[in-house]
Amino acid sequence: MTPTSTQDLLSHAWFGIIGLMLLLYVVTDGFDLGVGILSLFRRRQEDRDLMIQSIGHVWDANETWLVALGGALFGAFPLAYSMLMTQLYVPVMVLIASFMMRGASIEFRHVAHGSKVFWDRVFGLGSLLAALAQGLILGRVISGLVPGVESAIFVAVTAIGVASGYSLLGATWLVKKTTGQLQGSARRSAVVAVCTTVLAAIVVSLGTLYFSPVGLSQWQDSGILHVLMLLGVLAALAFVYVLYAIFTGGEHSPFAGASLLFTVSFAGLAISLFPWLVPGKLSIAAAASNSATLTFMLLGIGTVLPIMIGYNLYQYHLFRGKVVLVKH
Amino acid sequence: MLVESLNLARGQFALTALFHILWPILTISLSGFLVVVETLWVRTSNIVWYHHARFWSKLLLLNFAVGVATGIPMEFQFGTNWGPFSEYTGQFFGNILGFEGAMAFMLEAGFIGIMMFGWERVSRRMHLFATAMVAFGSSLSAFWIMVANSWLQTPAGVAVVNGRLVVTDYIAAIFNPDMVWGVSHMWFAAMETGLVVVAGISAWKLLQRRNVEFFARSFRLALLLLLIAAPLQIWLGDSSGVAVFETQPAKGAAIEGHWQTNAPGTGANWSLLAWPNADTQANDWSIEVPGMLSLLATHSLHGQIKGLHDIPKADQPPMLPLLYYAFRLMAGIGFLFMVLAFWTAWAMRQARGHLDVLLAQRKLLWAWVLAIPLPYVAVECGWIVREVGRQPWTVYGMLRTEHSASAIAPAALTGSMLMFSAFFVVLLLSFFVFARRWLRTGPDLSLQPPQARMETGHAHGIDY
Repeated sequence: MTPTSTQDLLSHAWFGIIGLMLLLYVVTDGFDLGVGILSLFRRRQEDRDLMIQSIGHVWDANETWLVALGGALFGAFPLAYSMLMTQLYVPVMVLIASFMMRGASIEFRHVAHGSKVFWDRVFGLGSLLAALAQGLILGRVISGLVPGVESAIFVAVTAIGVASGYSLLGATWLVKKTTGQLQGSARRSAVVAVCTTVLAAIVVSLGTLYFSPVGLSQWQDSGILHVLMLLGVLAALAFVYVLYAIFTGGEHSPFAGASLLFTVSFAGLAISLFPWLVPGKLSIAAAASNSATLTFMLLGIGTVLPIMIGYNLYQYHLFRGKVVLVKH
Repeated sequence: MLVESLNLARGQFALTALFHILWPILTISLSGFLVVVETLWVRTSNIVWYHHARFWSKLLLLNFAVGVATGIPMEFQFGTNWGPFSEYTGQFFGNILGFEGAMAFMLEAGFIGIMMFGWERVSRRMHLFATAMVAFGSSLSAFWIMVANSWLQTPAGVAVVNGRLVVTDYIAAIFNPDMVWGVSHMWFAAMETGLVVVAGISAWKLLQRRNVEFFARSFRLALLLLLIAAPLQIWLGDSSGVAVFETQPAKGAAIEGHWQTNAPGTGANWSLLAWPNADTQANDWSIEVPGMLSLLATHSLHGQIKGLHDIPKADQPPMLPLLYYAFRLMAGIGFLFMVLAFWTAWAMRQARGHLDVLLAQRKLLWAWVLAIPLPYVAVECGWIVREVGRQPWTVYGMLRTEHSASAIAPAALTGSMLMFSAFFVVLLLSFFVFARRWLRTGPDLSLQPPQARMETGHAHGIDY
């Protein structure tokens, strides 16, 4: 194997790992951000207690995927990290602010007495802001960081799309974790959210063709087009499945369906943008660190990745089942 | 514009770094303390240790939350404000930050849920394991961060290719000359912080005569551990000082206000107190001990110490008085802890285990209460010495700070700076309010240890 192809292989492996981390991040933190967003709509303190309790033991580990992702991007693709962070200064700062709001409020609310409602709202608002900021970042990346009114509208749609997608994950998570009236309202939220999410996803897909500097050329490749069409069919099936699962009273299946929908959309996006990190500006090859760094990182992070996933799964297993309110 | 952005970015980094470090130091040490307490619980089945674990872990959770919330801006700031730095150093520095996030932080975050909410769901041993993983994860986190930072101080194992750094030798880069001292000095600083905080809070409660048995126990345990940690830290501080004079002579000279390189065969004078002045390139005044600096910095009578006169002004660290006094404050506090620990140990030996005698030592107990902020002051001073002393370089001798910052609009930087400041104030105040409430409530001595229930299919609550 020539040195260039080793470098090629390694940088693509890292593209894959970072993609996997991103997927794990959006699905896991997606549902707890979604629960936060939905908590904004609940008046009863008891409902909010249950909702936030249902994510209390995992939100932190979920968010950590982003921290790991940031570090991995920094090490494996320093140019992309620096370009994205600098160009996306404002949404990144909003994202950081929202994480600080969430992180502090979720612990402070446990010990708060009179100010509990306040911290609950900070948590909900932080969750909403985080989702919107992430949607903004996504939209800006797809449209190749190009300024303009049209792309601003596109970015607004991706922001709403991400927020409603997370709400869908959050709502189906609540279906899984709660009972009774709260579960009922979570089912209704899920129906609304799945429709807005799919609508936004369609608009974003069409917008990608128009706005992304690489989207169209990618879709003209017949091999890729077939894969994308297959993913589209899968997404449609997942959409129908989520609705079916909600209406037939499924407990776990709505969340599974929503996760599938997310995974499929994510794969579609990744394929549409490949091999670009920032469409039209920065490719995998241009941004990647050299082989030595990529290999070293692979030894370090690649080997702990399955372990990380393992103890996260253990945690989910440990806290399985419905939540019931515990006063303290 | 660039100068303004650079200074704003530096100010923002200083603010977030100085605020962030306040939290992980307690997380590292308190989780370690909890491992000790929980091990005692598992070993002896004495319920007192269980109550200790429950009580102190609440402080940990509160502290951990703020630590995470303030750590995220640290990581992303390298990309947002220091783009050129990130591009230049990404292949090593970014790589190590990636290790920290993936290996260490994830371990900590993955197990803290079980540690905090899992008492009812896992066995004692499994819970101890979770606590140990949190402690290990937070220490590992400190390890990787200090590896990254020490490499900025004494970069090794890299070469410049096409204007970017490429790692040529990972072992050399990780085990750079400063690494062992940087890691261990920081880790012991964290340990001392937690132990002084536990001892100080316990002393406060003893002064109030609340839960006397409980807090006398935690006081003794913290003291015992501090008797080991405090002298070790002084030795580590001394050793890292010697290493600084070897590897970063400009920093060494700056923290000691040392201007004139001593001639061979003579010892360099040590200024006990002075006012270094960068404009006149001399000390405005000083109280000196002849020949002492050579002894302190090289452990030999005539060791040569490079003076600031032999370092171009452009390569001298800025803010000399700040460096000079931050260093003295840090070292002074380190000695104070040792004195306090041994004084207390001596007093307790005189008491021969009689609790009343300990309680009667009100001055001693007050000294511990007043000591609570001191480890924090020392750690902040240590970081000022470390980071300001490295200037004008971000990567010592390789990349200057002025070439490291992104060209971000000053307005954006000012905006984010205001946002961070406001958040930090709210976080700090809220933490104090809640910590005070936790402290007032005190330990719940009626709490019964859970019978680990592992059967499936039952709805479980999460016990906060």
